Amino acid sequence: MSIFVDPKLGLIPSPFHASLAEQNRAHSWYDWAGYAAPSVLDSMEFEYFALRNQSSLFDISPMHKYRIAGPDAAQMLNRLVTRDIRKIKTGRVGYAVWCDEEGMVIDDGTLFHLGDDDWRLCCQEPMLTWLLDAAWGFDVVVKDETHDVAGLSLQGPTSFAVLEAAGLDVAHLKPFDLVKIEPDLMISRTGFTGDLGYELWCAWDKAEALWDRIWQAGTHQGLRAIGYDALNIARIEAGFLTAGVDFQPVHATERLHRGQTPFELGLGWLVDFEKGHFNGRRALLSKQHAQRSLLLRCDVEGFKPAQGALIYNGRKREVGHITSGIWSPTAKKNVALAHVRMPDAQRASRLMAEIYTLEEGKWDTRMARLTPVQGAFFAPPRARATPPART
Amino acid sequence: MSNFDAIVVGGGINGLVAGAVLGRKGKKVCIIERADRFGGMASYAVDGGPSLAHALYNLSPRALKDAGIDVDRATFTGQQIDTVSLADDGNHIVFKANGVYWNDGSQHPQSKAWCELIQRFKTYGGLLRQLAEAPPPGGHSASLSRARLAEMLRLAKVGIGLKMLGKSEMRRFLQVVLSNVYDIVLDDLPDGPVAGMLAADAIRGAATGPRSPGTVFNLIYRLGHGGTITQPTGGMTAVVDTLVDGAKAADCTLLPGTEVSRILVDLDAVTGVQTADGQTLRAPLVLSNLASPLTSQLTGPSLFDIEATRRIRNIRARGTAAKVNLRLKDASPLPGLKSEQKDARLIYAPSADYVEAAFNPAKYREMSKAPVIEALRTEQPDGSHWVSAIVQYAPSDLDGGWTQEAQDRLAQITVDTLDCALPGLREQITDTQVITPDQIATATGAPGGHWHHAEMSLDQLLTLRPANGISRYAFGPKGLFLCGAATHPGGDVMGLAGRNAALMALEVQK
Repeated sequence: MSIFVDPKLGLIPSPFHASLAEQNRAHSWYDWAGYAAPSVLDSMEFEYFALRNQSSLFDISPMHKYRIAGPDAAQMLNRLVTRDIRKIKTGRVGYAVWCDEEGMVIDDGTLFHLGDDDWRLCCQEPMLTWLLDAAWGFDVVVKDETHDVAGLSLQGPTSFAVLEAAGLDVAHLKPFDLVKIEPDLMISRTGFTGDLGYELWCAWDKAEALWDRIWQAGTHQGLRAIGYDALNIARIEAGFLTAGVDFQPVHATERLHRGQTPFELGLGWLVDFEKGHFNGRRALLSKQHAQRSLLLRCDVEGFKPAQGALIYNGRKREVGHITSGIWSPTAKKNVALAHVRMPDAQRASRLMAEIYTLEEGKWDTRMARLTPVQGAFFAPPRARATPPART
Repeated sequence: MSNFDAIVVGGGINGLVAGAVLGRKGKKVCIIERADRFGGMASYAVDGGPSLAHALYNLSPRALKDAGIDVDRATFTGQQIDTVSLADDGNHIVFKANGVYWNDGSQHPQSKAWCELIQRFKTYGGLLRQLAEAPPPGGHSASLSRARLAEMLRLAKVGIGLKMLGKSEMRRFLQVVLSNVYDIVLDDLPDGPVAGMLAADAIRGAATGPRSPGTVFNLIYRLGHGGTITQPTGGMTAVVDTLVDGAKAADCTLLPGTEVSRILVDLDAVTGVQTADGQTLRAPLVLSNLASPLTSQLTGPSLFDIEATRRIRNIRARGTAAKVNLRLKDASPLPGLKSEQKDARLIYAPSADYVEAAFNPAKYREMSKAPVIEALRTEQPDGSHWVSAIVQYAPSDLDGGWTQEAQDRLAQITVDTLDCALPGLREQITDTQVITPDQIATATGAPGGHWHHAEMSLDQLLTLRPANGISRYAFGPKGLFLCGAATHPGGDVMGLAGRNAALMALEVQK
């Protein structure tokens, strides 16, 4: 969706902007949903290793957040998303995708079951009009909380210790649990890094105080503020998808057939045909075994990041491309997410990526063998341990 | 608990036809109607007054035939009536099948031009009728299925029909079909009562003025079955009775005075309906004659895709025609009309400009102060005499609402307007009835009291009627179909929507 935004409007400061600006030695800001968000604060490598070895703070306030409350909230949400949300108990968070009538993914996000008939949907794309349409006929109120709720992602092996030092006891929180730990603060054990980590949610005007509290608590835990570049490496290692990169949110596409079904994105496990009707169910029933392409997680030969590379089957036929490719410092592997068309994606033995390199003014290409793998590239047990370790 | 093969919700014209068509194909059908009598909008009347519809011009012989009803029955053939355009100076104009005449019997100078125009529109209407008599194109996935081949043939026939018009005539068709009636009529005629009559016929029941795009199509649609206007013998009640008989003859079970409170669905397939009095009727097929938003509410919105509910909420259906019935004190003829004109269809539309001006207030949710009127003199079974008038524009969303005062004002305006052309009419009137679009909506469930349930505009026709994605009658869960006037090809006491829906349901069930 190419919405023209007048550049003269500039970017909006996030609720943590003052704290971030103070640390943004690289002065590198990018536009995230209209907010000025840091891509790098000083060095991407330092930030990444803080995330994996100590702990990191990343501002997630620009995420879109919608409150869905009312007697029919569960029913309305169950028609919206493909999974059965009745299985997400109060106090739990669930990952979900939702589709249009043709079964193409509109967006993915997390559903927070805050209380009886009270939910929050957190996602990347603006979704208010879609949710209002989805709410027609249901006794629910949809409220856009994007600019009311601030979010801070605290991730890394010492994140539990940081919270402890801040006087916040979350030892009992299992992955995907949430707790309203203080009147103005909710903590969920969620994140976009595949590591031990928490997301902290508070009112917009309480954001600075929260930052200061966590920052002071992190003094002895190697806490570091990070930008998106470092986070992006972590999320690729975890095998997570980014909207607009690894899949095209169908409402944001202008060209035909750019949308993808959950099955094509490897998210078939999120589709529950038994729960009753949901948006796109009839289309997905006929499309579940007719994938046009598959999203693969691949081990890439060599060490050159494969971002943007075209994929060939047997050196001749072009069959796809790499959507996200990095050298994974923790897995010590060259890894990538790739879209490969069918049926080549299932006969994957001869897939090669044509990687373009630019070295001191010289463009070159090298062919790298792709080996599809199952699951995440990096999934440390510490991410799931309860109670979590302190270091 | 009773078991049926199919249940039709809503016993209007289309519901009755759909039921009869299914019944004749060997299905065990139940037709449920909320009101105590069938006929829906066509036969809706209050306190013994004339019904909403008062003449037939578009009833489809094809629909009747498939419903097993004899097309040549006296009820339908009834009495063919002329049209009289009323003039304030008493110099009325009579439209007969063969031309236009002055009140004194002499030929009107625009007679030839009018005849040519009508003839042309009838030809176009005949062509387009082939599209009306089948579901809208599309929807077949297998390219070589029987239904697909039949559809290709049908479309080819329309194409060949167009070609057969000849090059210049085909060009003209393509020019006029999407155009507005004002420009097209005034190309051939000076503005006056003859143009006014065509303009009035083109906008009747619609939220458009003669200058609105697509109004030529409305006129062609009206003339799709030859354009002959008949007053059915025994009135609209007799028409409905005949259709009810047809449904009974097809072994349909008729349940008047029964309200459906829920359409039941299990595992994404229809299983029947529940009635307000607690009965459960089972059937794997439910045809809903109701508007789509109402149907989706009865079924439960979670069973429809979000896009579908968004589209049906945005279907435009703004009724602009009110019914004003004037009770006459006795059988004496209307003043100013000759005896052979006593049963004629009276039009008050002195010019196309007049009709357009009448539309202006409706844009701002006001009623016309100088309305367009179609009136018929009728005698009710109880021996009372009435002038049954369709008055435009009286928008359903009138600013301030249809209060008693507003209704009285509309009645007053109607009487004043007619009295100008028929001086002395006022003295013959003993009582007035006003049936406003919002009243029609409440009584029949037709959205906005619109008699096509959805505006007949180019963005809501064929594959887009009533909305993209549901044009082939199937709606949401397996076995649920729409069969009302909002579906292709539309209303006008035609019966084709119901007949098409029934045939489509049978095809899908196979």
